[in-house]
Amino acid sequence: MTLLELDSISVHYGRIQAIRDMSFSVEEGEIVSLIGANGAGKTTTMKTISGLLNPSSGAIRFLGQDITKMKAHIRVVHGISQAPEGRGIFPGMTVLENLDMGAFGRKDRSGMGADMERVFDLFPRLKERQKQLGGTMSGGEQQMLAIGRALMSNPKLLLLDEPSMGLAPQFIRQIFRIVTEINRQGTTVLLVEQNANQALARADRAFVLETGEITHSGTGKELLANPAIKEAYLGVG
Amino acid sequence: MSMTDGPTPLPTAAAAQAAVDREATTAGPGSSTAPGAGRFKSFGSKWNALSRQQQWAFLAIVVVLAYLLPILNPPIITTEPGNNFALACFDMARFALIAVGLNIVVGYAGLLDLGYVAFFAVGSYTAAMLTSPDSPFLHIPYLWTVPVAMAVAMFFGVVLGVPTLRLRGDYLAIVTLGFGEIVRILATIIPAMKGQVGFQNVGHPPGSEAGGTPIFSNSNGVPWYWLTLTIIIIVLLLVGNLERSRVGRAWIAIREDEDAAEIMGVPTFKYKVWAFAIGASVGGLSGALFAGQVGFVNNQRFDVQTSILFLAAVVLGGAGNKVGAIIGGALVSYIPLRFTAIADYKYLIFGVALVLIMIFRSQGLLPARQRLLAYGRQAYSRISGRTGGGATPRTGQVTGQEKEAGA
Ligand SMILES: Nc1ncnc2c1ncn2[C@@H]1O[C@H](COP(=O)(O)OP(=O)(O)OP(=O)(O)O)[C@@H](O)[C@H]1O
Ligand SMILES: [Mg+2]
Repeated sequence: MTLLELDSISVHYGRIQAIRDMSFSVEEGEIVSLIGANGAGKTTTMKTISGLLNPSSGAIRFLGQDITKMKAHIRVVHGISQAPEGRGIFPGMTVLENLDMGAFGRKDRSGMGADMERVFDLFPRLKERQKQLGGTMSGGEQQMLAIGRALMSNPKLLLLDEPSMGLAPQFIRQIFRIVTEINRQGTTVLLVEQNANQALARADRAFVLETGEITHSGTGKELLANPAIKEAYLGVG
Repeated sequence: MSMTDGPTPLPTAAAAQAAVDREATTAGPGSSTAPGAGRFKSFGSKWNALSRQQQWAFLAIVVVLAYLLPILNPPIITTEPGNNFALACFDMARFALIAVGLNIVVGYAGLLDLGYVAFFAVGSYTAAMLTSPDSPFLHIPYLWTVPVAMAVAMFFGVVLGVPTLRLRGDYLAIVTLGFGEIVRILATIIPAMKGQVGFQNVGHPPGSEAGGTPIFSNSNGVPWYWLTLTIIIIVLLLVGNLERSRVGRAWIAIREDEDAAEIMGVPTFKYKVWAFAIGASVGGLSGALFAGQVGFVNNQRFDVQTSILFLAAVVLGGAGNKVGAIIGGALVSYIPLRFTAIADYKYLIFGVALVLIMIFRSQGLLPARQRLLAYGRQAYSRISGRTGGGATPRTGQVTGQEKEAGA
């Protein structure tokens, strides 16, 4: 079943067009990766899906419902949750307070406890550091917190914007393992990455974004094997 | 675009972490590490180490002393002979109330409002125009003007907030700065507002002494001070509840990172307008009290400098901390009244004080983290209470507040 559908979306910053007539969809249960160079429009796409940016034309549908005009804070309630680029955690709040904010839009208090347990199972480090301030956590820990916080809304679709940014290789592998685990537990994941190797290897399907347009699409494996993509994004050729 | 646009009066994460650690260990006196901040630090930890009863007892003593202040008229502290001490107390209380209101806007929600004096002016004019014999409008008893002034100021808060709160940071500051001036200019050019001539004999609460002079006369500061102090206590209780509620958490999140707050499900715009409106109503309230005490309102008292002075009070006390706001407000009023020789240099002095505060203690005298902690304990009991053992008694209470506040 189609969870998310972008239908010829264009996004402008003032007169600069960042996204051109983009269409793609995400099926329930998938991991979909979006790869592309700096400035390709990946973050713009994510913010448009989460509702922080409004498209200048086109439509976004979630579970068949048109959400193009829906405010970001309502989209969370409908099941779209974003771990923003650069983490965007609340630096002056503790780990626990950050996680609590992740559940702000929720009404079902019993489910929140279960999700807290789930987050602590995925990221034992967060459990150890409950009272530490977000701003004093290491980069990798902040990334865990950002993902954990996004999970606290019990999303149907999790948007991850460069979760591996600035992390050491073994940390990157760990984050990707956890992303796969989150997906296995039933959350659909849309992943934006520069780390194309991992992102393609883990993805069911993937898209390549160049200056605001999708230029390649296919299964993760297909794109990994594509010579043009190998050369441009995988540093081999 | 940056996720950290806009003013962030929050202490640096590292400094705030010190506060968390302090909380976690409930360190004894003398265990503070950072020099300069030591006295405040050990006070914070001592306070948290006290039992609930001890805290209440301490607060009761502080409140009683506060009420007795103008009667005790303590030597050294007193502002006499330069300024009548009871009137000085009223002025301090008025500033403290203003700082509490502005703190909601600047400290909690992180919205830099440079035109707060406008709401104070709206409150003053509302009280004056509804009670002064110079005003052609209908007249109502003075005490009724207080809620009316709050409502009118709140209305202006919403009217100003709705178009401008979509802007961020610097833009908001500029627009509010302009609004502060607009109200003053309108008071000058609209004939009904009587410009510099103003309104004489603004009303006051009822009651007179044996000799027939009103209890709430312009020259007698004590009743006005008591009235204002009582209002401050009520406002503090309400603000305290708000702070611990869902609304308070939303404000903190907005201050820390507005985009992140929005994608957590916080209707950021709505909560910003709320902060603005509630702050405005407190500004209007203090304006009405001021108009009543002084008995005279014209266009000369609501300039930009006054706005900056209000802001200085909040920043000095510690943006985001209501007790800090009270202390900051009282100090900003007190210092020029007490040290009359330097009163003419007050902007210079507060300017220097602010610079020093920013260098040595950027969170203000009482940092905001103290308040965030209250939230931390709740978050803990709300989430851990469910996942772990039995629910804590606090949980029920919090849910009750949330229902009220979230409506
Ligand atoms: N707030 C903004 N105002 C103007 N232009 C912007 C803004 N944000 C992004 N852009 C432009 O839009 C284009 C796409 O930016 P976007 O942040 O989506 O890229 P990205 O693919 O996420 O890049 P990166 O990998 O570096 O994060 C870029 O050309 C960028 O300069
Ligand atoms: Mg990006």
